[in-house]
Amino acid sequence: MRCRILLAILAAGCVVAAQGGASWREASPGYTFAFPRDHASHPDFKIEWWYYTGNVAAKDGRRFGYQVTFFRVGVDPAPANPSKWAVRDLFMTHLAVSDPVGKRYRYAERLSRGGPGLAGADVERYRVWNDDWSASLDDQGRHRLLASDKGTGLDLALDEGRKPVVHGLGGISQKGAEAGNASHYYSLTRMPTRGTITVDGERVEVAGESWMDHEFGTSFLEPDQVGWDWLSIQLADGRELMLYQLRQADGRRDPRSSGTLVGADGRVTHLAAADFTLAPGGPVYRSANGATYPVAWTIVLPSLNLNLKITTPLNTQELSFEGSTGVAYWEGLIDVAGQAGGKPVMGRGYLEMTGYHGNLGQVLSGR
Amino acid sequence: MMRLFRQFILRPLLRDRVRTATTIVGVALGIAVIIAIQLTNASSVRGFETALEAVAGKTSIEIVGSGSGIDETLLPSLGWLREFGVVSPVVQGDAALVEPDAVGQPDGTREAGRPRTEAVRVLGVDILRDQPFREYRLLDVGAGEPEVTTQRFLQLLTNERAVVITEKLARRRGLALGGEIRLMIGDRVVSYTIRGLLKDEGPARVLDGNFALMDIAAAQLAFDRLGRIDRIDLLLRNPEDLQRTLVALGPRLPAGIEAQRPARRGAQVETMLAAFQMNLTALSWIALVVGLFLVYNTVTISVVARRQEIGMLRALGVTGPQVLALFLGEAAALAVAGTVLGLGLARVLADAAVALTSATVSTLYIASVSAPPAMTWGHVALAAGLGLPLSLLAAAVPALEASRVAPTAAMHGHDTLEMRVRLRPVMLVAPLVVIGAAAGLARLGPVNGRPYFGYVSAFAIVIGASLIVPAVMFGLSRASRGFLRGRLGVEGLLAHANLSAAIPRISISVAALAVSLSMMVAIAVMIGSFRDTVVYWVGQTVRADLFVGPGVRPTVGSEQTLSSEVIEAVTRHPDVVAVDSFRNLDLVYNGNLVVLGAGHFDVALSRGALLFKSPSNARAAMRAAIGQDAVIISEPFANKYGKHDGDVVGISTPNGPREFRVAAVYYDYSSDRGVIVMDFSTFSRYYGALPPTGIAAYIKDGVDPERVRSQILAGLDEGHRAFIYTNRALRTEVLRIFDSTFAITYALELIAIVVAMLGVAGTLLTLVLERRRELSLLRLTGADRRQVTRMVMIEAAMIGAVSQGVGLTMGLALSMVLIYVINVQSFGWTIQFHLPTAFLVQSTIVVIAATAVAGVYPARRAAQLILSQDE
Repeated sequence: MRCRILLAILAAGCVVAAQGGASWREASPGYTFAFPRDHASHPDFKIEWWYYTGNVAAKDGRRFGYQVTFFRVGVDPAPANPSKWAVRDLFMTHLAVSDPVGKRYRYAERLSRGGPGLAGADVERYRVWNDDWSASLDDQGRHRLLASDKGTGLDLALDEGRKPVVHGLGGISQKGAEAGNASHYYSLTRMPTRGTITVDGERVEVAGESWMDHEFGTSFLEPDQVGWDWLSIQLADGRELMLYQLRQADGRRDPRSSGTLVGADGRVTHLAAADFTLAPGGPVYRSANGATYPVAWTIVLPSLNLNLKITTPLNTQELSFEGSTGVAYWEGLIDVAGQAGGKPVMGRGYLEMTGYHGNLGQVLSGR
Repeated sequence: MMRLFRQFILRPLLRDRVRTATTIVGVALGIAVIIAIQLTNASSVRGFETALEAVAGKTSIEIVGSGSGIDETLLPSLGWLREFGVVSPVVQGDAALVEPDAVGQPDGTREAGRPRTEAVRVLGVDILRDQPFREYRLLDVGAGEPEVTTQRFLQLLTNERAVVITEKLARRRGLALGGEIRLMIGDRVVSYTIRGLLKDEGPARVLDGNFALMDIAAAQLAFDRLGRIDRIDLLLRNPEDLQRTLVALGPRLPAGIEAQRPARRGAQVETMLAAFQMNLTALSWIALVVGLFLVYNTVTISVVARRQEIGMLRALGVTGPQVLALFLGEAAALAVAGTVLGLGLARVLADAAVALTSATVSTLYIASVSAPPAMTWGHVALAAGLGLPLSLLAAAVPALEASRVAPTAAMHGHDTLEMRVRLRPVMLVAPLVVIGAAAGLARLGPVNGRPYFGYVSAFAIVIGASLIVPAVMFGLSRASRGFLRGRLGVEGLLAHANLSAAIPRISISVAALAVSLSMMVAIAVMIGSFRDTVVYWVGQTVRADLFVGPGVRPTVGSEQTLSSEVIEAVTRHPDVVAVDSFRNLDLVYNGNLVVLGAGHFDVALSRGALLFKSPSNARAAMRAAIGQDAVIISEPFANKYGKHDGDVVGISTPNGPREFRVAAVYYDYSSDRGVIVMDFSTFSRYYGALPPTGIAAYIKDGVDPERVRSQILAGLDEGHRAFIYTNRALRTEVLRIFDSTFAITYALELIAIVVAMLGVAGTLLTLVLERRRELSLLRLTGADRRQVTRMVMIEAAMIGAVSQGVGLTMGLALSMVLIYVINVQSFGWTIQFHLPTAFLVQSTIVVIAATAVAGVYPARRAAQLILSQDE
């Protein structure tokens, strides 16, 4: 549920698509997932992304975080121009590497149209690429991530680990009040990862755990939603937790906020807005562009007797692409500590905070 | 000394306004013509180069294909280019701005040809990749958006009918944001929506704001280049590595693709225009040479007119060198005034010259802006560097003469120019040696493709002929006495005597006039012969009934193609029996731009009529070339690159360099760049199936081609505009282009003649002043005013006749050099010598009459002398 990042681009897509006769398919209940087919692209839907985040460490214990996201944003499902350069989809890819020990955070982006094979997402087999950055499935069924830009990069192989977890109910993750405002959304919640990460030209061999999100749909946002906060957590007790909370223009929490808990045994529990609270508290990070991000959070799941404190070892994990798309958000590795059923529990994860810079609602509604 | 100069030189100059003004105007015209041609030449090349630079932006290296651009599917495999820097694929071309009033009449009822329209350079880019390369400052995109992100920019462009134009163009044409702009590309007229306005920066400066930015997809569609891009621009991460990167890229690029600096295209265009421009430059010098004769004249006049005063000065103690300085000072004053005036005049002439040449340059070579560049200090320095020293040189002879004036003799009026010089052998030998040298030089070959020896030879002819003038005049003087006396009575006899007495003095004026006249004759003969040759060639080779071309004329770097709708409309017409489509490409051969053409050899053989130069069985050789790796080449190509039938030419193709056998050489006057022609089957094997750039259609016998033409045009929809010439209209069009090409030549020539006429007037004035006493005596002994006037006018006409006689002979010799040496070496085509007799006869009459008229003012002065004479 990270589509808010795409608001600016979505707005662009809407304008152009409105001219064409063809339309995008909407996410509807009853969708049955099949793997590995559903790893591949779903070009009928307007928006799709593949999102990898991970906590990894070098042999000497030095900790790193990474993020690679491939976004596909449909612009015009059937362009009138037969040119291969006609923009059907825009491919936006974000790469970020966090080095909390060295207090370094590096990020880069690729923004490209499909063109004659410059960027794309295959339908038959999982492979999505943007210039020389790519995510794909190799012959052994491992996910391969490859991206680098000016001394920042990664080259990782990820085992799928646990079975894919489908979020929401009936194969659909509802995001707004309207029926079509939903997506198909699944995650690979604990992927054993190894490979190399490069920061400022320094190449480090790493191993650790990653989280993959893959989500596709057509429209899932409403004008009064200004941003959201999202978390993925891998607890040491074998459980994983995903939560997101939509924030409304009036400051209230949107009732469609939800989450998923995966038990140590793999059992999946859907969490409705009423099942949890997610509240900021403690230090904030003020970024150069003027945004103020709450970098400490508290999670309470009363029914499960779960209490978690979220902190980050690196405050500066903000991606800001002012010139190209105007997108800015905070996405970074976090530490988790708290209590589960009275016993202490630890964990690691990734936190995403969007809608803290600029009034995205205005962009969305095209005003 | 300054005081002396003011009183002795400046005051008379001011008093004798006509003479002074004539001289200054003469020098000014000479200077002006030279500077104007410099500016004009710079305008076309610089216009192209600045456009190139503005569009190239920060591009360090461009990657180009052989043939028509690069196959876009190669792009993903060129991803490694990223190692070196940022990469942006580009589609570029020229469109014509469609005038709103012309929209309603797509049939182009005017037979005269394509209407003159503004060219708009269209750049098609992927803005996501292109932004680092070029500075696009969106001035206005509506809705008051302050910051335009790349992604928003893309959104503006992402439509096959979206365009961003410059604010300048919008203002000039009254176009507004959100409004429509109609562009014609090839034969297609398309309406675009203006989605943004660019500030006058970077690429928006191209062609004075005639620039449009499109999405690369829209540009591909507009230029009918789906699947192809024109080039890949590369912005190096380390610009200082340019040379190393060029070397490194070479072997890694696939066959048929190469890396070059953007400036190379400018250099190619420069070479292409060099021959054309060198000819203009050479012509422009003639005007200056003639202007210098005027300086000589004027200083001579002032020396002659004031011999007594000079003698007085000398007697009062002024030294010889001081007298020399005085008269050189006079020349300097005239030169400075002439140069200043000339610089001002150059600006005006340059505008006129650009108007005359830009049509040629853009018709035959490249799209350019019709405005000369600003004059720089370099031009001022050139003008001063030419005007002053050369004027001093011209004045040196009379000034030296003045410095040698003996004090007392001059005062007494005894020593009037003792000019009864006899004909000496050297006066005949020297010019003959020079002319012999000219003949020898004419036989030498070109240097670097330029006919330098040809120009030296022409110059030698001019010198030789000028030197021979005194000898000719002595001869004529002896031969013509009886005739003049018999026909023109006593005035004729007197005129003859006067001229004979002043041969050395007159010779220079005669030579000056003869030189300008000879150039006129030479150019007239050359152009006349050329025109006749072209008329014959067109008559022989232009056989098809209809010629169909796109609405926009193609130029270098901008291909214009025909769409299938238009081709269909022609082919499907019931009266059309055969069609030959052809395709042209710009090809780099030996670093120069040549034309690669493709046609259907079988149709050309059965219906067309190429004129072959070699071999004798050229038609059979051409038939055998069908489907083979064989080509036919045009005569200019053969001459420029030394290729003949049976030789092999290496041509770069999308599959890498390939060798083609030359089957035949044919005569062609359509392009001096040189043409290589392949059969279509061979062409498409190497270059792919590209849309044609033109079609020739043959219709049923007895059918009116004009009717077929109108029917085809009427059948086209609003979105298509073709230009169809009937056979007759094409011939007219060819000659129209031909004539407009040489308009500048005539204009330059006319200026030289005007200057020379001023010279004749000056010379006569000298003679009149020299003979003050004689003339007064004549009047005293009973000659009336009319008789004196008549005598001086007869003298003038005689000077004109002699000049024209020498000029005619010299001109014919020069025309030989122009036709057989300079033209062959710079353009490579054979011109059949043809004498434009009627023109020569007419011009002779006009020249003699005109010189007689030039004698009017001196004649009046002569007639008045008696009244004001107090000696």
